[in-house]
Amino acid sequence: MVELSVKLEEENSVECALFLHYFEVEVLSVEKEMSVNQRRVMMEKLFHGIFFTAASIAVVSVALIIIFIFSRGLQPFFPGNEFGNYNPISFLTGLNWRPSFGTFGIGYMIVSSLLATLGAILLGVPIALLTAVFLAEVAPKRLAAIIQPAVELLAAIPSVLYGVFGFAIIAPAVRNISPYSTGNSLLAVILVLSIMILPTIASICTTSIRAVPGYYREGSLALGASKIQTIFKVVIPSAKSGILTAIVLGVGRAIGETMAVILVAGNSEGGIPSSIFSIIRPLTVNIALEMGYAAGMQQQMLFSTAVVLIIFIIIINLVLSKIQKKAG
Amino acid sequence: MNSRKIKDGIINIFIWAAAAFSVGILIAIVYFIFSNGLPLISSRFITAQYNASTNIIHMTSEQTFLQPSGQDIFSENLGIGLEQDDDGFWVNYVDTNSPGRRAINNADEIVPVEVGQLLQAVTGADGQLRVDANTSPEDVVAALNSSPDITLRLNEQGGGVWPLIVTTLLLILTTLLVAAPIGILAAIYMVEYAKPGKVVNTIRFATEILAGIPSIVYGLFGFLVFVNTLHIGQSILAGALTLMILLLPTMIRTTEEALKTVPMSYREASYGLGANKIQTISKVVLPSAIPGITVGVILAIGRIVGESAALLMTLGTFARLPVNMSTGNLSLREAGTTLTVRAYVEVNESGNVEMAAAIGIVILVIVFALNIISKLISRKFSKANY
Repeated sequence: MVELSVKLEEENSVECALFLHYFEVEVLSVEKEMSVNQRRVMMEKLFHGIFFTAASIAVVSVALIIIFIFSRGLQPFFPGNEFGNYNPISFLTGLNWRPSFGTFGIGYMIVSSLLATLGAILLGVPIALLTAVFLAEVAPKRLAAIIQPAVELLAAIPSVLYGVFGFAIIAPAVRNISPYSTGNSLLAVILVLSIMILPTIASICTTSIRAVPGYYREGSLALGASKIQTIFKVVIPSAKSGILTAIVLGVGRAIGETMAVILVAGNSEGGIPSSIFSIIRPLTVNIALEMGYAAGMQQQMLFSTAVVLIIFIIIINLVLSKIQKKAG
Repeated sequence: MNSRKIKDGIINIFIWAAAAFSVGILIAIVYFIFSNGLPLISSRFITAQYNASTNIIHMTSEQTFLQPSGQDIFSENLGIGLEQDDDGFWVNYVDTNSPGRRAINNADEIVPVEVGQLLQAVTGADGQLRVDANTSPEDVVAALNSSPDITLRLNEQGGGVWPLIVTTLLLILTTLLVAAPIGILAAIYMVEYAKPGKVVNTIRFATEILAGIPSIVYGLFGFLVFVNTLHIGQSILAGALTLMILLLPTMIRTTEEALKTVPMSYREASYGLGANKIQTISKVVLPSAIPGITVGVILAIGRIVGESAALLMTLGTFARLPVNMSTGNLSLREAGTTLTVRAYVEVNESGNVEMAAAIGIVILVIVFALNIISKLISRKFSKANY
């Protein structure tokens, strides 16, 4: 605006002066009005658009992934697939994975994944819960102030380093007691996973135990219960929903872990594990091992494996939201 | 009464034992990483190349260079300084305009002269001079100055993690550049604009499921879509796009939580003063939520540093600087590998636990530092604000 008026004044002609006058009176006043109302509305609309676009990008991209994975993964089970058809029942219950023979059974992997997760939960949860009880109820304040950050740091260690630890320390230790010549086994996987999920579960449990109101404890103690009885009969039941949430999150982490597991699983080609010393091949490991070179039907089958994993995750989340709804 | 005491005592012992076990595991893992990795850590560990290599490179001098003070062995012709020890002559100075920075190998790829390389031979006007610990410094300098066209044989010692650190940093920057704006803006929409109801709940449930999907599934998706179908190839770009999708749900969720902790009264007060919605968001809500958003971003950085399954096939596993060989510049279209992926590859391919642990030390330092920073931020601001 200033530039324009300077330029017009320099030219110094009558028409220009008239135009300038008209400009000042009409246009500027209109613009002033607009700056108060319309510009605000425009800005408002513009930013609303920007935020909405970002949300749509996020939603659409994640929706596309799900659609892509499911369409790839379900193709082999519907007629008209370019690489031939595969029976979904024999896929889900098959006990052998031999891509070169066209055999794609992931039943034994599902069993492996579930056993490894169950073992990790059975071993990890009690220790994690007792650690949380220690931090929230038993430990002197100063000691808890040191140990709690330590547990949180443990949760921050990348899973690969747990895998390296398992490869160098846990698997050789398992080999010493194993009837087989290798330490890679279901037991090694369970140990690595239970160590890995321990800090996450312990942190969440500590928070939820701390959230139990103090008068619950006072009431219980006043009734003559001991401190330990109060913790296990009053405090932990009241913190139940938080503890269950922690366990469900632990299950999700254990079932989805890949890199820590791949180093100690042994990666078998078939067969349900007969003992805790058997080598196994969880679902995630199957994808990681073969995605680099898989093509055709084999690649589709890796997506089918991913579909099974996603369904497990959806079930876990449904359970979680049920728990949270119950807790209110 | 007595039996209760005994029972309580036993349970108490279990509680202490469990806590001791948890702490013991942390100490065991950290001790394991440090005791295995420390022998490989030297002063050059951070800055040295990963792989040892020997390069024969050519350069053409177009000017003379001034000898920096304190630099005893120096070629005015090339602008390269050396220092001598029991192993021979090491490059310890390269002038910013030195032709050595644009040196090419026989395949016409740019292979620059770098500090820390060992000089093994010089070919100038007087033929080839083999250089070892017994060669006199005068002969070396004379050979380096003998002609404008010089060919050097340089030995790169390797054993460092510089390429891994550069790749990790580039990956973090590229991923956050895309994921952070989209994630934060989407969260603002979800909290401040969208009407609560079925749509928002569905989106929220979807993001929760996506946050729980194993990263190997994202890796499979990224490899097929970005690397193969879109022909981006294994590169930082493909890795960053994969991580962006992996991080978006978490990013949206942490930002949403941060925005929700801003009390409604702040917004009402802002509206009461006549501010409109966008002013309220940018001047009141966002500044109050910044600490929470920052903590979310730091957690995302920690996740990128620790991620491996999603990067294995999208970023690649080669420990190299992501440099375009024909231009000599860093490029997002080049493959590389991060610290964490390399730690896995070392163990999986060659059982090299020592190298994995040495890389692990760097990872632990980064992750623990991020953890402490995010703690400090949330502690400081939660006191200041409410």
